[in-house]
Amino acid sequence: MTSLLRWLGAALLLAGAAFFLSDYHNDVYRKLLLWVTLALSYNFLFGICGQIAFSHFAFYGIGAYSVVIFLFQFHLPFPLAILLGIALCILFALAVAIPSTRLEGFYLALATLALAQLFIVVLNEGGAVTGGPGGLANYKLPEILGTRIRGPWYTAVIVLLLLGTLAVLWRLDCSWFGRACRAVRDNPEAAAAMGVDVARTKVIAFTLTSALAGIAGMVYAFVDNTVNPPIFGLDNAFLLLFMVIVGGAGRHAGAILGAALLFLLPFVLSPLIGHHHVLVFGGLVVVAILLQPRGLVGLYDAIRRHP
Amino acid sequence: MQDFLELAVSAAASGCIYGLIALAYLLMIRPTGIINFAVGEWAMVGAFGGYLLLSKFEWPYPLGMAAVLVFMLGVGWLTERIAVRPLVERGAPLLAPILALLGMLVVFREAISVSFPPDPHPVPYALGIQHQSFFIIAVTSVVFIGVWLFFERSVAGKSFEAVAIHRRAAALMGINLSRVTALSFAGGAGAAGLAGLLVSPNVSAHYLMGVPLAIQGFTALVIGGVGRVEGALLGGLLLAFAEQLTVRYAPLPAGYAQGVPLLLLMMFLLVRPTGLLRAK
Repeated sequence: MTSLLRWLGAALLLAGAAFFLSDYHNDVYRKLLLWVTLALSYNFLFGICGQIAFSHFAFYGIGAYSVVIFLFQFHLPFPLAILLGIALCILFALAVAIPSTRLEGFYLALATLALAQLFIVVLNEGGAVTGGPGGLANYKLPEILGTRIRGPWYTAVIVLLLLGTLAVLWRLDCSWFGRACRAVRDNPEAAAAMGVDVARTKVIAFTLTSALAGIAGMVYAFVDNTVNPPIFGLDNAFLLLFMVIVGGAGRHAGAILGAALLFLLPFVLSPLIGHHHVLVFGGLVVVAILLQPRGLVGLYDAIRRHP
Repeated sequence: MQDFLELAVSAAASGCIYGLIALAYLLMIRPTGIINFAVGEWAMVGAFGGYLLLSKFEWPYPLGMAAVLVFMLGVGWLTERIAVRPLVERGAPLLAPILALLGMLVVFREAISVSFPPDPHPVPYALGIQHQSFFIIAVTSVVFIGVWLFFERSVAGKSFEAVAIHRRAAALMGINLSRVTALSFAGGAGAAGLAGLLVSPNVSAHYLMGVPLAIQGFTALVIGGVGRVEGALLGGLLLAFAEQLTVRYAPLPAGYAQGVPLLLLMMFLLVRPTGLLRAK
């Protein structure tokens, strides 16, 4: 009961903040919430299950594009479009994950890198369906029960998405499945000896987190009301990985911290050094791995242990 | 027929480029097990070295090429010092240096994009435009023969192979592991930088040229197999021919040709993950 109240309090606090922000700050706030959501699900895949994949951002894009295409190119009803979009993400995720798990080493990273590139190629060459390099624009969130959600209320929807994702991942992390994932990450042979089906655990974790990224993408589609290929490029896939590493891989707090820091840093750095803040990110990652492999959360733990 | 011959020469040339990148991966992956995605950025750095020395300072080609090669060996050695050795010495998991190298990838790319204006930079041809393909094929052949001789005929090459087969045993036999690692990174950067220098007259040096090269090179490596040096070249040639034949003869829009290497990669991962050539 108290935990339910805590979730409710968090939702009210995070959503309530949106009503005090100007339009511009609301936009920044929404994107921050979306990045945190993505970082949380990516953290489960990379930090907790130990799989390096570069496709997380592509699945975000698949979610966004599929809902827009199903709604406005094929004119399907809203709930059906969402369900089909999720189904599409799951299908793609299975198609990548099942062959990749048959292999040792870092083949998942490569297969997903290929998928992410292929996705951009398909978007650019998709003609009228995907809108080509210009993407799709000028659409609006359909009305649900006669009302259209807009302004701060849409930010509240994103808050619900964030907390929903966190709740799902939290429950999974505390369940046998989370422990199986950690075991697979730390020592696959030992995990297999203890009766964990390594391949199946990997496939399920990959598919589930990819579907969560797809759902976040669907919500994103109506933030800017435009989807185009450059948004879903590889740069952002790397940024997502860096967020989780800098924050502290394997910890929910780390994902939240890292996403917030790396998302907000450009707003501070841009006036100082132009758009070369990416250089700072790269350096930050190298330093983080060399000096503090557990990220900012690890730094916090170390300080608390030796005050 | 004329048409097909021209296609074959240009495919062989780009196959050689992919082969060199695949060789760069292979040199590092064999003894250390580390996949270094920054090879694409190394090729980019090599291309910019070519622009600086050959276009801007107008050095003679052989001298400029040698300078770029030496510089790249230094870059590889330095990268290993900064991002790999401290982690290996600390006994960090294999994943740590791979991620640190991903960070270095961004550092390389952004350092170049800060230092040069964003438009493409021209790099001169070695012998003129009509001979560039043959020049690429000749240089690549020399590199591959040299590397093959090094691994097959020299004691130092055998020590690399020994480390690849069993790290601990090789160390017990008195092989200096950190020197092998440093050399493999220097060699990898040299091969990648050479590939960048050779391809740059056709595509111009640009700070975003790295990632596509890194993916194509890796596809070549997966096709050929990570066990043997010849595999890298074979994989590169197969990939380039598949790519160019699709562009030329298949009724597909040009953009989809970019999808060919990716589909090949997926197919090989699925059907023959060890690549065409197995390790001996």
